[in-house]
Amino acid sequence: MSSLDALLAGFGNALQPVTLMWGFVGCFVGTLVGVLPGIGPALTIALLLPLTYHVPATSMFVMFAGIYYGAAYGGSTTSILIKTPGEASSMMTALEGNKMARRGRAGQALATAAIGSFVAGTIGTLALTFFAPMVVEAALAFGPAEYFSLMVLSVVAVSAVLGNSMLRGLIALGLGALLGLVGIDLQTGQPRFTFGQASLLDGIEVTVAAVGIFAVGEALYLAWQGRESKAGEVMKLSGSLWMSKSDWARSWKAWFRGAFYGFPIGAMPAGGAELPTLLSYYTEKKLSKHPEEFGHGAIEGVAGPEAANNAAAAGVLMPLLTLGIPTSATAAIMLSAFEGYGIQTGPQLFASQSSLVWTLIASLYIGNIILLVLNLPLVGLWVKLLKIPPPWLYAGIIVISTAGVYGAGNSVFNVGLLYVFGLIGYAMRRFDFPAAPLIVGLILAPMAEQSMRQALTISMGEWSTFVTRPLSASLLAIAALLLIGPALWRKVSSR
Amino acid sequence: MTPLRIAFVLAALCGVAAWQVSVIPTSLMQMTVGASLVPAAVVAGLSVLALLYGISAWRGGQADESLQEDQSPLPGANRRLLFLLGGGLAFMGLVVPLGFILPATLCGMGVARAFDAPLNFKSFTLCGLIAAVFWVVFAHVLGVGLGPGLPWLI
Repeated sequence: MSSLDALLAGFGNALQPVTLMWGFVGCFVGTLVGVLPGIGPALTIALLLPLTYHVPATSMFVMFAGIYYGAAYGGSTTSILIKTPGEASSMMTALEGNKMARRGRAGQALATAAIGSFVAGTIGTLALTFFAPMVVEAALAFGPAEYFSLMVLSVVAVSAVLGNSMLRGLIALGLGALLGLVGIDLQTGQPRFTFGQASLLDGIEVTVAAVGIFAVGEALYLAWQGRESKAGEVMKLSGSLWMSKSDWARSWKAWFRGAFYGFPIGAMPAGGAELPTLLSYYTEKKLSKHPEEFGHGAIEGVAGPEAANNAAAAGVLMPLLTLGIPTSATAAIMLSAFEGYGIQTGPQLFASQSSLVWTLIASLYIGNIILLVLNLPLVGLWVKLLKIPPPWLYAGIIVISTAGVYGAGNSVFNVGLLYVFGLIGYAMRRFDFPAAPLIVGLILAPMAEQSMRQALTISMGEWSTFVTRPLSASLLAIAALLLIGPALWRKVSSR
Repeated sequence: MTPLRIAFVLAALCGVAAWQVSVIPTSLMQMTVGASLVPAAVVAGLSVLALLYGISAWRGGQADESLQEDQSPLPGANRRLLFLLGGGLAFMGLVVPLGFILPATLCGMGVARAFDAPLNFKSFTLCGLIAAVFWVVFAHVLGVGLGPGLPWLI
């Protein structure tokens, strides 16, 4: 079956009323978490994971995709109206969008962000549709050695490039790897790092760690600061949601340029969404006929970065679906969701779960339309949500986090672990350790160990297998370059 | 807490982890790579990183948000943290004997107090409502095993 036939079959499944309903719920919840400061898609998916294993996998992944895309959409509302970017990738939107809002053009800022997100999200999904099968074909040549090297590259890239310090990123990765190795070793049956506790034999649940770090950790940090007691100042929704002819003329090229930055960079192991949004912003500033407006509310400064942000969201799904490699915390949680449903990820996913993958991709197209419909007309509702007083907002978040972890197995031990991870998350936030490497390390460390041992078994214990196989050697070389490259560059440029 | 103390905590963690690696039983199975190689490598790597972090912290090169003017905590930071953690402890201690809703209400009240909401009837009512809604949606509608909602249903 060709990709196009498979996609059409995917549309057939995604348009089933029940699947469509889950997609709608996902988009709604995603926009909600995108709008509310302090809650991201990774946390929401992690929270919902243990609560939703009763629902069929296809419906669940369609909902998760909706949450993922919806959060990227919703983040712009918070950025524009209260200048609080939920994630670093919304920083430029907050900068220009809030200035537009202060000049009485909040409506146009929200409109260009929403339409740009729709355009770029659709372009990103199109690219995913056509490039993913090619990547899968190439990846089918991967053996355990290449997989091990690819995972090393991913974790190094996520730790070394993201965050403010490579050292702190690598420490977070090491901690995640250590936690990922807790439990019974699957090959020998030996317990590791269990302290003789039966509750730890099954290892540490990714959801417990993720919810603890993202939800409880964030709440502990904000409570410690004591600066969140009142809801922030929300800008009045001023200006029409209809864009003028000049707004359209200034926005459409920025949307396309943003999309073309966002997708390829988002698909790279450490690409993320921050770099394309920054690149898009500075490109628009350079190309604009009104560079003097930048910093004071230029519409291109909202249109381009928002488009780049959403295209990057589609890009992140590429390595996840084709190689089983998560390049962000949200992708890592989605990977653990696949594992939770007993679905083997990697290139074989397209063959073994073809229906699920293509339904998911089809639902991304539909989700983009749902989000456009949800975002603009309901903007008044989203604005009201920003006025929820923090005590009740965080009480709700912590109660649902605790319920989610407790409901997964009625384990009080896991609830205790949730708060321990909360304290770790608080310390990480306070001392500026990035959280994503810990989560990615927690998930990838046992997988990388498995691949390494398989590769060594095949090579009869020859460690050189990782450097004599050209692809594996290239991946390890890139990982090494990422580790030492920035330090070398600094040294060279200081001379 | 300071970055230097974090370095000591990391070093202690590495010590405990090294001890745990040393007690991993040797497998009787013939394996190319045993169960302890990767854990040992991770612990060794983390120890080196912790040492580098410690040196950097000692030289004042590591970040602490509490030192930034717009991020530093307002008075009562420890009290607020204890209220939030106390809410979690109340849930853990009471969920088995009392069912889900009352412990979750107390947990919510602890969190709300940590964000400066007073411990009063309004807080009890709102948090009780939040807990009850979650219990109905997840346990009743979605069939998640949250246990009985109230003590008399146990």
